[in-house]
Amino acid sequence: MKITLGCLYPDIMSTYGDRGNVATLQRRCEWRGIAVELRELRLGDRAEPDELDLIVIGSGGESQQRLIAGDLHEVKGPGIREAVRQGAAALAVGGGFELFGRFSRSGAGSELPGAGLFDAWTIGHRAILSDQYDSLTEARADRALGDLVVRWHDRLLVGFENHNGGTYLGPTAAPLGQVVSGVGNNGDGSEGVQLGNAVGTHLRGPCLPRNPALADFLISAALRRRHGDVDLPPLADDVELAAREVAMRRARMASRTRRGRVMLRRPARPGSPAGVQAGGRR
Amino acid sequence: MNSVASARRAFAVSMGKAVRDGSRRLGKGNGSAVPGAVAMVIDPGMLAGLASEIPQGAVLVTGSNGKGTTCRLLAGAMRAAGLHPILNREGSNQLSGLATTLVASSGRFGHLPADDRAIGLFEVDEGSFPGIVSQIGKPRALVFTNVFRDQLDRYLEPAYLTSMLERAMRELPADTTLVLNADDPRVAYLAPDMENPRLYFGIQDTGLAREGTDPSSDFPRCPRCGSELAYRCVFYAHLGHWSCHHCGLARPEPQVRLTKVDLLGSASSRVQAATPAAEILVEVPLPGLYNAYNAVAALAAATACQLPDRAFLAIERVTPSSLRMERIEVTGHSVFLTLAKNANGYTEVLRAVLGDGQPKRIMLGLNDCEGKQPDTSWIWDVDFESVSGLIPSPVITGNRAYDLTVRLKYAGWLGATKATTLTTEPDPVRAFQLALARTPSGEPLWLVSTSIVLQQIRRWLRQQGFVKEVWREQDQLLAGSVRL
Repeated sequence: MKITLGCLYPDIMSTYGDRGNVATLQRRCEWRGIAVELRELRLGDRAEPDELDLIVIGSGGESQQRLIAGDLHEVKGPGIREAVRQGAAALAVGGGFELFGRFSRSGAGSELPGAGLFDAWTIGHRAILSDQYDSLTEARADRALGDLVVRWHDRLLVGFENHNGGTYLGPTAAPLGQVVSGVGNNGDGSEGVQLGNAVGTHLRGPCLPRNPALADFLISAALRRRHGDVDLPPLADDVELAAREVAMRRARMASRTRRGRVMLRRPARPGSPAGVQAGGRR
Repeated sequence: MNSVASARRAFAVSMGKAVRDGSRRLGKGNGSAVPGAVAMVIDPGMLAGLASEIPQGAVLVTGSNGKGTTCRLLAGAMRAAGLHPILNREGSNQLSGLATTLVASSGRFGHLPADDRAIGLFEVDEGSFPGIVSQIGKPRALVFTNVFRDQLDRYLEPAYLTSMLERAMRELPADTTLVLNADDPRVAYLAPDMENPRLYFGIQDTGLAREGTDPSSDFPRCPRCGSELAYRCVFYAHLGHWSCHHCGLARPEPQVRLTKVDLLGSASSRVQAATPAAEILVEVPLPGLYNAYNAVAALAAATACQLPDRAFLAIERVTPSSLRMERIEVTGHSVFLTLAKNANGYTEVLRAVLGDGQPKRIMLGLNDCEGKQPDTSWIWDVDFESVSGLIPSPVITGNRAYDLTVRLKYAGWLGATKATTLTTEPDPVRAFQLALARTPSGEPLWLVSTSIVLQQIRRWLRQQGFVKEVWREQDQLLAGSVRL
């Protein structure tokens, strides 16, 4: 058995340990005797929908997003949308997730086009690269920054979020899950987007190593395209689960100290009620 | 200064001193930030005022990695040149830490002792640089080591950091020499329109270039036009000989450069350096390529301060800073405490220790900062793959020890084919005792970790009588130059 893994902009959208997601998918396939063909898709390369079983895009900040947005929208977007329509799996994380939506508008007013896969959009508070913050402290205070725990079906996903502004879902988008602790999409209690086998999330950086169930969901979905339903042999995930435990414990500690603090202060969605509160369901 | 302002200054300084003495007497650490913060509340102009009293002016050293060691190397050269550097303590590199340094160096009446050989040498946290540069009115030189992706939960993205630093640099007077790393495109092209004198440093010896590039490096785009940069050679991370094929911008030719670097095992390196005035051969008693960069940065700063050539040789006598391969003898083992706080730092430390290909005993640690900086994602950008198998029976520790264990598992360290027994013990002291017991007698043990783990072990070693308190050692160092 084999899957073809398309890794988008590995040279640009891999700002903070995003290699961990690719490594996790590769290893968990390798340990089960599944071959992985890795395709690195850079600026200018098209996404071939018939060939890609699994598409991964990592996180990136404002500068990286500016570099790829046009290419993602025009060159790769149609192929990505078609591949997911045909059942391919996808994982979009952090800044990559934001650009898998319709658009991302920065606080400075500029708008970046997205791949248009998800019926979602992101609106930033202020742009750090346009000198809209006077200090690092001020810029940090305006971000959703910390541990994020999300209920996904009957499981919990754990990780870390570090984003400015909010992501809003249109009528045809379904959230990936519900926030247990942290901010998530925009403070309304939802986190991420799931469309078929495509997953978008603010759990940025290496979110798969500590969430092996999500990794295996993506691998199963990718295999299903060519090999039908395959029972993945279970792996010994004891250290992964131990790391999850630590992350969840620390997220609980952090959420106690953060409770009540308003993380998102400006109404970002046109017409939305003012003063969106942080935290979601607790 | 009128008499009211001067009384206020004196009061601020003596309150700062009282807080500092009190916190030490109570055993609450070295009191590195609070005394300065207290003094600055009483007299917000204190730092700027005291800094302006330093007869020989000040040198600021900032950047992601290597600030502390560069300062230490430069301090040695300054002393050899007969100057009396006033240094801030390692880690006390934010505004209040710097204020504490000047409080400690001042007399009761709120003035620095009259010493026309005194020169300020301040390590400055890159995030605090804008706040500090406005206080240190006329620095003689600003040394910029490098800009790495570092603690994105603290410094956000490198492009933001450089734009913020650039904005702050514009407050510098026109005669401050900018001492910049030519091999780091982000640093080399900082504030290109400023007409200040620029002194570039870099490594010329292409024999040291890495085969291919580090998978974890983030290569910056061209700082002028945003195109992809081409590298003729890469020393580590994104440091190397770079150029832009699109707009023609290229690495500036460094005036202070290492023409030859021989890495001598895990202890030192021999470097041949050229400055505009001299060619010298020195042995840097600190291992790894990153310390060769620190040495050339210090040489460039010494050149900018017009120190005599003979002062350069003081580099040979430098001892490691606290937690920078700091050596402590523990029951017949040399234990090296080695701080690694970001992906490039961790990778380069491992390479410095394991570069000779000989297996070594190393304990690896990882912690987050108690909720303040919970993101440890960067471990996935550390090159653990290439040193797999070189560390027999590693012990993994820290409050994020299991995250690091997962990382090592996916790097192939736990593979069924490798007879490596890896132990995860989150408690640093227990882990250290275990690692020490596993180390064959007489062999050294390296502790490579983020800071909290190392501090906990160091505190334990101090309680056990293996090591003196950091501030005592540093005060002794300071006492040699400035009377307290």
